[in-house]
Amino acid sequence: MPTRHNADKLVHVSVMGRIASPTLPGLPAEPYRLDADGKPFLYPTHGSIVYNVSVGDSAYGWLADTIHPGVSIRLADAGANQGLNVLSCVGNVAKVMSGAATGATGMVTGKSGRFSEHVIVHFTKADREKMAIEDKVLIRAAGVGLELPDHPTVKLKATSPELLEKLTDGTDGDGRLKVKVVATAPAHLLGAGAGLVSDGGSLHVQTVDRDALADAGLDRLRLGDVVALQDFDSRYSHGYFRGAVGIGVVGQGDSPRPGYGPGLTLLMTSHDGGIAPLATPGTNLADLFDLRP
Amino acid sequence: MIRTNEDQLVELAIAGSISPPAFKRGPFLPDNDGLSVVRPGMFGYVYNVRVGDPAFGWQGDHVEPGASIDHDDGGVHHALHYLTCMGNKAVVTSGLAAGAEGVVVGEHARILIDFDPEVHEQLCVGDTIQIRAKGRGLKLLDHPTIDLKKLSPEVIHAMNLETAANGKLRVPVAMELPVRVMASGAELNSEYVDQDITSGDRALMQEEGLDALRLGDIVVIHDADHYWGRGYRKGYVAICLCIHGDSVMTGHGPGILTIMAGTEDDIEWTVDPGANLARYLKIREDL
Repeated sequence: MPTRHNADKLVHVSVMGRIASPTLPGLPAEPYRLDADGKPFLYPTHGSIVYNVSVGDSAYGWLADTIHPGVSIRLADAGANQGLNVLSCVGNVAKVMSGAATGATGMVTGKSGRFSEHVIVHFTKADREKMAIEDKVLIRAAGVGLELPDHPTVKLKATSPELLEKLTDGTDGDGRLKVKVVATAPAHLLGAGAGLVSDGGSLHVQTVDRDALADAGLDRLRLGDVVALQDFDSRYSHGYFRGAVGIGVVGQGDSPRPGYGPGLTLLMTSHDGGIAPLATPGTNLADLFDLRP
Repeated sequence: MIRTNEDQLVELAIAGSISPPAFKRGPFLPDNDGLSVVRPGMFGYVYNVRVGDPAFGWQGDHVEPGASIDHDDGGVHHALHYLTCMGNKAVVTSGLAAGAEGVVVGEHARILIDFDPEVHEQLCVGDTIQIRAKGRGLKLLDHPTIDLKKLSPEVIHAMNLETAANGKLRVPVAMELPVRVMASGAELNSEYVDQDITSGDRALMQEEGLDALRLGDIVVIHDADHYWGRGYRKGYVAICLCIHGDSVMTGHGPGILTIMAGTEDDIEWTVDPGANLARYLKIREDL
């Protein structure tokens, strides 16, 4: 039986962002970030039009720091950017409103957190070729306010009704909402983003300890994969809580920085274990929404 | 005897002023269950909570013991954070308390300085406080792989450190913190401010005895790598200092400042409930 929800009561609003330029700190000679062993590195990082990395590709192996697949948008005004970041939901439709790619449509696939606060949008590679930094991208934002009457402890964040329907698979024998995921992340491997807002931003899988990562089955994640968070409560911000279960989607790629790794955009959380993760290989936005690279 | 390179350290002055309490995003904080609450604790001068007092149980949020000083200029702000070391001497340089001496006991978003209670009545928001910053570059000559962060030579020599027969540095700690509860601050480098314990699982705080934590306690986190950031890494060891009080918010709680980064190969620890900065600095006769 499909999961009952209140999508017919949601208000659809427009939010807009502009394609964000990459930014790096200025001189003297401080473009570097440090990896977990203290070694300076200089790689492309969040922002801009990324021509060759898309949702569906591996989250690992790129010479980059938390790279955003596709196109990243933001607004200069902090309040307006917060509106863009919080109201945009994964699965919402985006449309280019200025420049040579005007009219091209895409889809929100994730958000980034403290220090960039972008909304990450998928467009085809062909459309990306036509785009320019500062182009306007409009999102038909719908999802904030989404509730499940049969699962009152399951709080939804950044989940569009379309994504909800694709990820959920009814209720198990204990009354828990069944949600398809590719893997489950244990609390000790969740790092940057803890303590920060869960209605936007990101929570990162930590990847410095590669053995622990492989033990948890998180070493082959793809951008767009849906992952469960074990013992993590994300109702108001992110933090350890026994029995809590969250669901996130891999929005950003791996990072050499300590405390960092693939960034998750929070989709759902239940502090009393009202979510039952259902191991389903291939649960990825690219497949669920048939996104063309 | 712990041997250091302290004769090579440079001691310099750096100053900030007592910050005015401020609510930057409205008064409300969401607590662990989403209830909006208003709590004092950060900025300014906290009269009745001092290093050595419990970290839990106050009707406050991120309570910063002592005077919280900062500087409006971003460069000076970061110099305060990167050069000030625990146990550095401080002196009030303006206002009614000018000349009063204090000591650095923490680094949160502001630098935290302890003064004798009789100085409290003379201090004012905005008063300038100057620190004799000393400790950057400090090394343990017999433990070169251990990275010291923000420790003054005075604190190093007061911590009852010893070299064990196996060659490891033995550190008395008040308690061990499980790495899975370490939360907000993972996004920062380990030279800047602290990382909070997430205290939202209140039953766990009680079961594991974490709610006995005191401001100023020296603690250990096993399987945590704090050399360049703060993250999970099997076999790594972080020695830390509790610098601020509990929080109502999820992912937040008592603040834990890194003071040593190492591994199982070079650090071991013994549990001693008296391992507290207030005792080491001899700033409270009641402890």
